[in-house]
This record gives sequence, C-alpha cells and structure tokens, in this order.
Amino acid sequence: MGFQVSDKVKKVMFGLIGLGIILLVLGLFTQKRYLFPTYVDAHNLTVMSNYEEGFEKADIDALKKEVEASLGEDYVVTITEATHDDHAHAEEGHDHEGGHAEEGEHAEEHAAHHGPTLLWHINIAAKGHGGHEGEAHSGGSKEDAHGTMPHAQAHGGGHHGADPAAEITAKFESGALAFKDGTYRRFWSNLLVNGFFFFGITIGAMFYLALHYATESGWGVVLLRVMEGIATAMPLGMLILAVVFIAATLGFNHIYPWMDSDIVASDTLIHNKSAYLNKTFFWIRILAYFGVFLFFMNWFRKTSRKEDEEGGVELHFKMYRRSAVFLVFFAVFSSTMAWDVVMSIDTHWFSTLFGWYSFAGIWLSGMITVMMFTLYMKGKGALEYVNENHIHDVAKWMFALSFLWSYLWFSQFMLIWYSNIPEEVQYFIYRFEDYRYLFLGMFAVNFILPMVFFMSRDTKRSWPYLIVFGLIIFVGHWFDVFCMIMPGTLFSEWEYGMLEIGMFMTFLGMFILLVFRGLSKSPLVQKNHPYLQESIHHEF
Amino acid sequence: MADKVIYAMYDDDDTTKDAAKLLVGKGVHVSEVYSPFPIHGLDPIIGVKHTRLGINAFIYGITGTMLAMIAIRYMMIVDWPMNIGGKPNFDFFHNIPSFVPILFEFTVLCAAHGMAFTYFLRNKTLPGMPARNPDPRTTDDRFVIELKLEDNHGFSAEELTALCKQTEIVEIEEKVIK
Repeated sequence: MGFQVSDKVKKVMFGLIGLGIILLVLGLFTQKRYLFPTYVDAHNLTVMSNYEEGFEKADIDALKKEVEASLGEDYVVTITEATHDDHAHAEEGHDHEGGHAEEGEHAEEHAAHHGPTLLWHINIAAKGHGGHEGEAHSGGSKEDAHGTMPHAQAHGGGHHGADPAAEITAKFESGALAFKDGTYRRFWSNLLVNGFFFFGITIGAMFYLALHYATESGWGVVLLRVMEGIATAMPLGMLILAVVFIAATLGFNHIYPWMDSDIVASDTLIHNKSAYLNKTFFWIRILAYFGVFLFFMNWFRKTSRKEDEEGGVELHFKMYRRSAVFLVFFAVFSSTMAWDVVMSIDTHWFSTLFGWYSFAGIWLSGMITVMMFTLYMKGKGALEYVNENHIHDVAKWMFALSFLWSYLWFSQFMLIWYSNIPEEVQYFIYRFEDYRYLFLGMFAVNFILPMVFFMSRDTKRSWPYLIVFGLIIFVGHWFDVFCMIMPGTLFSEWEYGMLEIGMFMTFLGMFILLVFRGLSKSPLVQKNHPYLQESIHHEF
Repeated sequence: MADKVIYAMYDDDDTTKDAAKLLVGKGVHVSEVYSPFPIHGLDPIIGVKHTRLGINAFIYGITGTMLAMIAIRYMMIVDWPMNIGGKPNFDFFHNIPSFVPILFEFTVLCAAHGMAFTYFLRNKTLPGMPARNPDPRTTDDRFVIELKLEDNHGFSAEELTALCKQTEIVEIEEKVIK
C-alpha cells in the first residue's frame, strides 16, 4: 500500500519515547525553585524569592545549613532573615489611602509582585589562620572586610578565590543552592510548547497541501501524499493542547492569567479584553479550529483516495474549490489561534503581527518536516518520481520562509522597540533580560544559518547540507515557540533541562510514528491527479 | 574566412528540446538557442555553462549594505545626530534596528540594478545596439536552434541540414556570415 517503515525505525522511535519519558519523570522530580541573588560586595549578598506560596520551614532550615557550609571551613557565613512583613503592611496601608481610580492598577501590581516572600542578607566573614583570625573577625564593617581580605586570602582560603560572595552568588544562579520544586509549572508550559509546535507542523503541511490545490500547481504532486501523511498527525498536537486547555480551565495551571477571575476583576487591562478572552468564547474558538482543521484534513485524504480510484477531473476541481475555502478559514484561524493559544499568555501585550509571525514559523517547520520525510523515504527507495528538482524546490521554500520568519520577527521587534510603549515593550524586556542568549541565539540561528547555507543552488541540492542545517533550524524553531511561551508562564525562572529534553523526545517519537502510520495508509503517488505527469517531468 | 550558419526553426519548446537532444546525441555542437522564454532543462543538454550572475548579485548586495552603512553612519551619527523618539543617535550599534530597513532596501536596490546592468552589458543589449537574434519571430512564438559550421568540423553543411530535417522543424535557413 503506502510506505511501510521498517521495524527498526519503529523500535528506535519507541526507544526515543521511552527514554524521553524516563528523562521527563527524572526532570519532574528534580525541579528546582531558584532564589535570586544580588551581589552587594565581596562579603555581602542578598537573596530573595517571589514564590507566592512560601516555603516549608524544614526546607528553609535545610537550605540555610547548606548555604552556611557551602564555602567550607574557611569562611563564616551568617544569614540574616529579613521578613517582608513591614513592607507588606506599608503597601496595604497605601492601598487604603489610594483613590479608587488608582486601585485597579495598584492591585495588579500587588498581585504581580507581592513583595519577596523570602529575603536573606548573607554576610561572609573570612576565618583566617593564626594571627589573622582576630583581624578578620573584628573587621565587621565592609571597608575593613575588604582590607583584611587579601591577608585571609593569602594565608587561609586560597582555593576559594578572592570573592566568596560571588562564589555563593554563582551557586544560587546555577541552582546548586536552591529549593526543591514540587509544582508542575514547567510541565504545563512545556506541554503547551510541544503541543503548539507539533500541531503547528501538521497544520503547516495541511496549509501547503491546500495551497497546492488552490493555486493549481503542478510541480509538487508527487509530494502531496507526504504532506497528507504529516497532516494526519494532527490529533497528537490537538490532544496535547486540549489537555493543557482543560487543565487551565479547571484551574490546574495558571498559564492564562485571564482565566483567573480574581485577576480579571482587579486588572483593568485584562478586564477590558474579557469580551474576547473569556472561557466560553475561548472554548468555542478552540473547538472551531480543531473541528475545521480535522474536517478538512480528513476530507482531503478521503477525496484524494477516491480520486485514485475514480479518476477524472471532477474530484480535482472539487478539491480545488474546497481548498480555497480552507485557505480562507486558515487565514483567519492561524492568526486568531496564535492570539488565543500563545499571545494571550502575555495578556497585557498585543501585537497585530503576532499571528503572521507564528504562522511563518509554523509553515517553515512544516516545510522542513516535509523535506526530512521526503529525504528519508527517498533514501529508502520509495517516492520514485521525486527527483532532485522537487527537493530543490522544497529547499527553496525552506530558504524563503526562513526569511519571511526573520522579516516578521524583526518587523515586530523594530516597531515595538521604536515606539517604546510600556505595555508593548515589556514583552521584549522580559526576553532580553531573562532569555537573552536563548532569544537572540535562536534568532541568529534561524536567520543566519539558512541565509548563509541555503543561498547557493548546490547546497539546496545537497542532502547532507539539507539534513544537518534543516534539523538545526527545526530545533531552532522549537526554541522559537519556547521563547514565545516561557517568558509569560515561567518568567525568569525558566530552565532547560531533562524535563524539556525528555518531553520533546517523547512527542517527537510519537509524532514520527504517527506520520509513518499515516504514510502507510495510502499509496505515495496520486495516480489520477491531472498534473501528475507535469510533476514527474518537473525540471528546471 | 566566411562561416556558414544554419538556423532551424521550431514552433514548440518541447520539440526544440527533443531536437537539441537528438543533435547533441549525434555529436553536433549547438552554439545557441533563441527562445521567447526560458526553456527548463535545455541548458544541460546544449552544455551552457552555469551562470555566474548569482555570485555577482551577492557581491552587489554586500556592496550595497556596506555603502548604506557608511552613508547612514555619516549622516545620522557623525554629521547631524538627532534624537528621534527618545533614541538619541550617539552611536551606530544601539540604533541599528532603525537603520535596518534602509540597509535592506539599499541592498536590494544595488543587487537588482547591478544584476540588470551586468545582464545588459554581458549580452551587449544597450540601447541602440543591433538586435542579435536571427529572426524577430523568436521573440514571439518561434524557437531557433543555431548551428555554426565553424564549431562542427566533423560535419558538412549538407550533413547538418539533413540532421536538422530529421527533427520536427518548421523552417530551415542557411546563412553566410563574414
């Protein structure tokens, strides 16, 4: 029938899923809740956490002991706990005094910042050897501590380096000193990232399929079944997204602030958007997207199979008309879906370009996936009519769409950067401050790599180039989705570890298996497609 | 020395391609094909070298970017710094996002114009130049394969004409050029 993938590949994929689940579970149980250190001087630092639910007393004591012992015997580490009670009272008092007009805004700030739930001042004194010991201890003030430091350093803690506070700061930053985290915030956020990414790939392939019919193109007929096969993996992404949305609606996760009635009541900006962003309308829209995409995917598959049997051009023109209808739906839904699923996480923020930006990413990941499956199956001897010209054409799409994506990324960035409106620019401030290397590195990889390596005609026809750089860009676009979602759900407390890798591996394995299942169900050549001959002789 | 040229005319791009294939298969060197539009797949048959216009375009583009950078830096930073939208033009690097559209446009401008002029010069088609296609109909709906006797030492003019007549020609013409 269709393409039968070897058992070896299936085993590898099941292995990938298994390993992914193991990593996922390991990652889930070794999550850390970071504390944020602020370096004061060589002997003082401040550590704080904004975790709203607070920490267990036993955990705090254990971490304190760990911090005290972290520099070894040569230093005396003193932790002074500064509760934020006074702070909070002052704020509440202010609330009562404040006028009603101010109240909404203030409450929002209160909910968002809350004051630190944990605040430690850590003082480090060097415990020198011999005569220097007294000197170091007597030097209570910061200037003295600085002065005695070189001595203590020279005689005592030589192996610690000159800056013990920086050392502890680094330990807090790297997570060596941190609380255990028992919540599932990272789990839910990653579920959303993977759901959107893999759902995006399938609707990207679906979009190209419809575009091919609507424009009456001839060249890609021999690739249409590959696109159909990729589109059949749609239910996976839908299922993941549905789980996230149901959990969000029932309050198991707090990905969407506008689903929380307390926040909506206290936040004017979110309240003003509640005509669009409310649970009922959200679910109506989500069901509409899923329903429309699923319906068209099944309809196209069924009709093209029917065309295989019946022949003639009647079904072809029916698909031609139907695909135009689908494109109209897709044009609206791809944008609104990006707003609903991703943009509404940063509820205050808005960007009219966002729909196109995420659509460009979706389309590009779809084309890369088409390319990878085509190359794999061609390498296995299937897809006999696909020649280097088809591959070159798909590679051109990869190249062009990388530019479309970069163009939209930059347009969105530049307009917001230039106008500098607070509620817009905060989106990029989060990303530039907390995700700097990931965010800019992701842009550099997704823009410069395709530009440099896919510009030449020869590289677009070279399999090693296509596979290596295609996969790098593929992962780059996963990180693009990561950067769209994480800053709004995890803020600066993001991490990339076993949890993220494991979940990506799991869903990648499932996705590949589902696509191969879809590809096995129908022949790889649409033998009665009117443009089949044109596609077979495609050459330029 | 006078040279003989044979022009074989066709009325379809596919028959032209088949004819070129047949002639080349017999060992004839096809010096040129005149066509109203590019025929996909003809280049490798008649052995046309791959164009270097793309490399030129890249060089023109890079030149445009550089020129635009130098110009903007001089205009906006050195000569007359302004404060636009609360973003003072103190240095180039921090203002680069606002310059990118200009860099991009100038890159495209230079690449496009550079390519166009290179193409004109290379094909000797500046205004006032004599037309080089053998028959004005090749700009409409006819295709002409040009065979030069000079390039085909193994064949006589009669043999070449006979070979051409094996293909689906609509007209054939022999010319002597000096």
